[in-house]
Amino acid sequence: MVGVADAIEDSGPSSAPSLSEKDFTRFRDYFYRKTGIWFNESKRYFVDKRILARMKIVKKETFRSYFTYMRFQVSGEELRCLVESMTVNESYFFREEYQFKCMVHSLLNEIVEYKRPGEAIRIWSLPCSTGEEPYSIALYLLEYWPGINEFDVEIVASDIDSQAMARAQKGIYTTSDVRQLPPTLLAKYFTRQGPKNYQIIEDIRSCVTFSEVNLSSRLDVKRFRAFDLIFCRNLLIYFDDAMRRQAAGSMYDALNPGGFVCLGHSESMSRISSLFEPRKFTEAMVHQKSFDAARMP
Amino acid sequence: MALLPKNKKTVKERAKIIRIPPKRDFDGLCFQLEHVDPTMRRWGARDLADYGDEGAAVLCPRLAKESDQTVREAYFDSLATIGGSAVVEGVMPLLRSEDAALRNSAIELFQSLPDAVTPQMEELLTDDDSDVRIFAIDILHDLRHPKGTEWLLAVLERDKHPNVIGTVVDRLAETAPPEAITALREAAVRWGDEPYLTFAIETALAAIGEA
Repeated sequence: MVGVADAIEDSGPSSAPSLSEKDFTRFRDYFYRKTGIWFNESKRYFVDKRILARMKIVKKETFRSYFTYMRFQVSGEELRCLVESMTVNESYFFREEYQFKCMVHSLLNEIVEYKRPGEAIRIWSLPCSTGEEPYSIALYLLEYWPGINEFDVEIVASDIDSQAMARAQKGIYTTSDVRQLPPTLLAKYFTRQGPKNYQIIEDIRSCVTFSEVNLSSRLDVKRFRAFDLIFCRNLLIYFDDAMRRQAAGSMYDALNPGGFVCLGHSESMSRISSLFEPRKFTEAMVHQKSFDAARMP
Repeated sequence: MALLPKNKKTVKERAKIIRIPPKRDFDGLCFQLEHVDPTMRRWGARDLADYGDEGAAVLCPRLAKESDQTVREAYFDSLATIGGSAVVEGVMPLLRSEDAALRNSAIELFQSLPDAVTPQMEELLTDDDSDVRIFAIDILHDLRHPKGTEWLLAVLERDKHPNVIGTVVDRLAETAPPEAITALREAAVRWGDEPYLTFAIETALAAIGEA
C-alpha cells in the first residue's frame, strides 16, 4: 500500500497530534536497528508526521497497533513504505562529496598499489539513477586525482530502472541537480540547454558504461566482476535483512581483493554482513574486502 | 592514461581481468565445496542456490564443518534463497550448536523464512532445553508472522524457566501489544519472588501504558 506522506495537515508542530515520548523512543530504536538511521529530538515533528500519516493510510488508530502491524506484517510492505517516507533520496552532483574526496585522497592510492601493469581501475556506481553519481566520479577523477594521468579508469553505472538510465545517458540536468558544482566545473563540463538545464559534455558521457542490473537477482549480478571500488549509496536501506545480506554478498563477489565499498552516510556494512572490514579514513568510513580473498574466477 | 571511453576495451582485454567462469553442473559445485580455496568454496555454495532442495540437502550437513566466515555467509545466503521446510529442518540442529556465530546465523535465517519456520515454532517453544526455547523467542524477535504475539503469550503463561520468561517479557516490552496486559499481570503474581522478573514485567506494562 503506497501512501502520501503529506496526508496529515501541516499545521505546525505545536498543534499537530504526536507520538508519546515512549512511542517515539520505541520507534526510533527499532528504525535505527533496521536502517541505521537515527532520529534525534530535533526530528520529532518530521517523524511524528510521517508515522501518523502511515497510520491513517493503513487504518491503525494507535501507534501500538500500527507498530505491531508493521513489525509482524509478513510481506514487509509497510516497513518498506515507512522507510521510503522517512528517507529523502535526492540525487545531485557531488552529493556526499566527502566520499569522492576519500576516493581521490586515499582509496585510489591504495588500489593502484596492487594493480598489474596496464590493468585498469574499475569503479561501479549502483544504483546510478539518472547519472549524477557516475558522472560526479568522472569529474572528480579528472579534476582532483593526479593518478588519472597514469592509470586507466573504467566507470560502470548500473540501475534496475532503464528509464532513469536512459535519462542518464542523455546527461541533461536542472540547475538544482548541479547546484553543488563549482562554477568553473559547470562551465568546463556542461553546456547550457535552454534557460534552466545543462547537459554534461559528450567526452564525459562516453566514459561511463551504463548497464541494467537487479542487485536482488544473484544471477543478474554474477556478470559484474573485478571491481576495485563500488559506490552503493542509500539503496540497501530499502531492502529487507535477507536481501541486504545477499546484496552485500554480491558486492563482495564483484570486488577484487582489497576492493572498497562506499555506502550511504547512515548505512553500515557491519550491521549487514561480516564479509567486509571497516576502514576509517580522514574523509570517510568505507568497507574493504580482504586481500586474502582470491579473485573470483 | 585516462578515463576509458566505453567502447575502448575489447572483449579480449576485458576477459583478462574478468576471467569469465566456466559452466558448472550440480556435481561440479558439490565437489567445489571441498576446494582448498575458500573463494572457490564460496562460489560453489552461492551457485548451489539454483538447485533448490537438492542444493539444500548438500549445504545443510556441511554448514557446521565450514570454518571460513565468507563461505558460511554464502551457505546461509543460498539457504535463505532456497527457503522452505527442507532448509528449516536441515538447519534446525544448529540451534543446539556450541558455536554462537552459527546459532545466530541460523536464527537470522529462520527470521527470514516465516512460513517455513511456522510449523516448527510450537515445537521449539516447548523444547526440553530452555536455551532452545530462548533461541526460539529470538527468532520471533524479527519474525514477521501474525501469530508472533500469540506465541509469546503462550510461553509467558506456561514456561517454568525464569530466563525464558525474562526473554519473553523483553520482547513484549518492545512491541507493547495491549493484549499482553492480562498475561503480564498474571505473570507478575506467579513470579513475585523473582525481583528481576517483576521489574521486567513492570517495565513491559509501563511500555504498554498500564503500569
